[in-house]
Amino acid sequence: MKILPVEPGTVGPCPVAPDALQGIKRQQTNPARWNGAGWQAFVADLGAAGVELAEGRAACGVYATDAGGTAYGQPHGVVVARNAGEVAALLKAAQAHRVPVTVRGGGLTTEGESVAYGGVLLDMTGMSRVLAIDAPALTVRVEAGIYWHSLAEELRRENLDYLSAPLNLTSSVGGTLGVGGIDVNSARLGCSADQAVSLQVVTPTGEIVECSDSEHAELFQRVILGYGQFGVITEATLRVRPYTPLSMHYYYYSSLSTAIEDLQMLDRNDASDYSGILTIMDCAVNLLVAFDSDEREAAFRANWEARLRGHGEFGFALCMLGHYALRPWKAGEALYLLRRKQAVFPEFRRPEYMREGKMHDRTVVFSRAVWKHWGSRNMVIPDLATPADKFIEAVERGNAVCRKFFPHYTLYCVGIKLRPEHRPHYEMSCVPPGAEDWAYGCEFEPMIEGEVYSRDHFQAFKNAIYDIGVDLGASYYRFGGMMKGYIRRIFGDALVDKHLAMKRRADPAMILNRDVIF
Amino acid sequence: MAAPSLDHARCSGCSLCRLVCPMWRQHRDPRFSPEGLAKARQCGATAAELTAPLEACSLCGACDPVCPEGIDLSAMVMELRQHLSPALPYRQALDALQAKFALAAAAAEAPAAGALFLPGPALRAHPVLLARVRALLGYACATDDGADIALALETGGEIAPARRRRFLDRLDGRTLAVGDGLLLRQLRHWLPGARLQSLGAALASLMPIRRRIASTDFYVIEPRAYHADYERLVAYYDRLQAETGCALNLDLQRIALPALTPALPRITGPLADADVAQARWMLQGRTPHRIVVESLADRAPFERVCDIPVLHLAELAQD
Repeated sequence: MKILPVEPGTVGPCPVAPDALQGIKRQQTNPARWNGAGWQAFVADLGAAGVELAEGRAACGVYATDAGGTAYGQPHGVVVARNAGEVAALLKAAQAHRVPVTVRGGGLTTEGESVAYGGVLLDMTGMSRVLAIDAPALTVRVEAGIYWHSLAEELRRENLDYLSAPLNLTSSVGGTLGVGGIDVNSARLGCSADQAVSLQVVTPTGEIVECSDSEHAELFQRVILGYGQFGVITEATLRVRPYTPLSMHYYYYSSLSTAIEDLQMLDRNDASDYSGILTIMDCAVNLLVAFDSDEREAAFRANWEARLRGHGEFGFALCMLGHYALRPWKAGEALYLLRRKQAVFPEFRRPEYMREGKMHDRTVVFSRAVWKHWGSRNMVIPDLATPADKFIEAVERGNAVCRKFFPHYTLYCVGIKLRPEHRPHYEMSCVPPGAEDWAYGCEFEPMIEGEVYSRDHFQAFKNAIYDIGVDLGASYYRFGGMMKGYIRRIFGDALVDKHLAMKRRADPAMILNRDVIF
Repeated sequence: MAAPSLDHARCSGCSLCRLVCPMWRQHRDPRFSPEGLAKARQCGATAAELTAPLEACSLCGACDPVCPEGIDLSAMVMELRQHLSPALPYRQALDALQAKFALAAAAAEAPAAGALFLPGPALRAHPVLLARVRALLGYACATDDGADIALALETGGEIAPARRRRFLDRLDGRTLAVGDGLLLRQLRHWLPGARLQSLGAALASLMPIRRRIASTDFYVIEPRAYHADYERLVAYYDRLQAETGCALNLDLQRIALPALTPALPRITGPLADADVAQARWMLQGRTPHRIVVESLADRAPFERVCDIPVLHLAELAQD
């Protein structure tokens, strides 16, 4: 068959041709299902070890896909984790029988990283309890399958809160520590993975090991931000803090680059406790700024607010009115903005979450809004993570790609404070190699809005975004699963081979999360 | 028996329902969650294959308001329960209880015109408290309060069309205060012309009661009625909390934690360990001076786990 040349990042005339997805091999987008060799003997061994394995559609159906909804696969059987000992027994048996084990927490991956293509699905949400809260030391010990939201529920009873976590109620602690985790306070507090003090890890060969920066440090470095390749996190000790409601401020921009410059200015000067950018369109950009205390808010008002070039809501509405009055042919765009504003804005101001002008439970507010107004059965969220100086270019180029592929989309940008002592954790992770002090991340999320797009359209879109990352020497949050074809392009053979060799030593049968990275 | 609806097909697997599901909290297994049921149905699982979670669901309705797809997950469970095997060991006992309630309803006279109060079996079993509630509300007490229909809704039992018609014809167009949250939920669909309120909200709106709710109280909202009218009641109870300063049994999503988590086989049985654990969790980190419950049935688990007074809302009003 003759394959016509296609422009990089686009779909060729034959969407099922082997080379239709430029830059990524077809077999990497859709892993083959494990053939099941030796399954029955493995099941017998598990039974003898007292590990409960569930089979059948009632047990496996819930795992058919992940939050992305574009990768589908089913395990042969499911183990709901109950304790580290069971996880260890499972991994030992899996090594012996060479049965793949896919670990799943909240299942919020978008590239099929938590989808099992045969083998065992290890569901960590069975281990989801708070084990101990040490209020004086401001730490908490949890089972790693716990949802951040469930953790917040228990911490609140002690008037405590976690430091930073994804703005999504159903992210699990273990899954987040394995990939990063960003919050609107990450520019100040770092990513969620940086909040871990110590971990209990079950290695791929079934040893249960406690690790931290001072104990089994190499394992700690590999498991944190390790995309599940070097062990299963079963328990974690995390730093926590006193709970505070937030004073929220919103500033509106018609220029992405101006908004990003102001965001970075605030971060550099430690001018706010929370900061981030969320767009409705690329001409309607919201810079969110928030504070934990009245003192910090007063200092911002006195020293930094006047330097921001964004408008308040009313002032921006006037600007937009003027803009569209002169461009009546863009009435559709104006109507979309208006509809979106009317739908989304009240979600962030629900009275039951506001007390005396302050927002309580920000993750609930944001997460519910995100699922309601951005969620759908298909979600693709390619991202770019760059050093501060390359971020504007990355976002503007990514924005141009979004425009080409989808009528409407949202960009979500935040800074991530880096910890120099954690540099070993950051190797081959979402933290870009050249970043100093801060890394910046942007997620590009198309609005599906009931439309039906092919997987190839989504894949071509993601490829086009990721091509920018290759060009800029950036990194990505979601480089596993269907996007793993980019791993060698972005990190280079030497680093990937180094990690592959470590993986082979740690996981001789290569059974743990085997379709994610390697 | 109607074929199950296809609502489960819209489940996108976001897991938000899991976070609020007492069944999931108890089992920590995704099969025991509305999402687990919906996803299993998407893969062709039958009601028989889902018997364990269908029995374990307490129909508290917490999942309904948090579903971003707007799936009526309680209705999904109720429908699937209709397809569970009639051979289940407790089925006969439930049918007998439903028949007993139906017999009492058949003997009931038509209520006088005006607002009505449907107490439900739990409150009816306490005549003194029942009389107090009736006096406070100033509503007539319906002798046919649909207890058999409420039980059928909960257990997947059959409701004869003629029986349903007779019950509804007597209620349509009236103001109703309903003690059973599940029945209230269904009446919202069946009687769009009626002015419906939960017994809890009706009582809490009365000044002799409202002004006696203290900031040191732990106020326990009846979850089924609350979740069935979530958008209105979340604002209502937010005001109640702001006015009185009491603590509510709401989680961070403003979803009501149920004190009781009755599984299908033990609906009429004694308290289970799960109920005691649930009550302990509700009180964890709290030091109220008093617990005030909207539903009489919620009294027992708190009385088991603490030694502070546990009062029904109606008992707050002075004689």
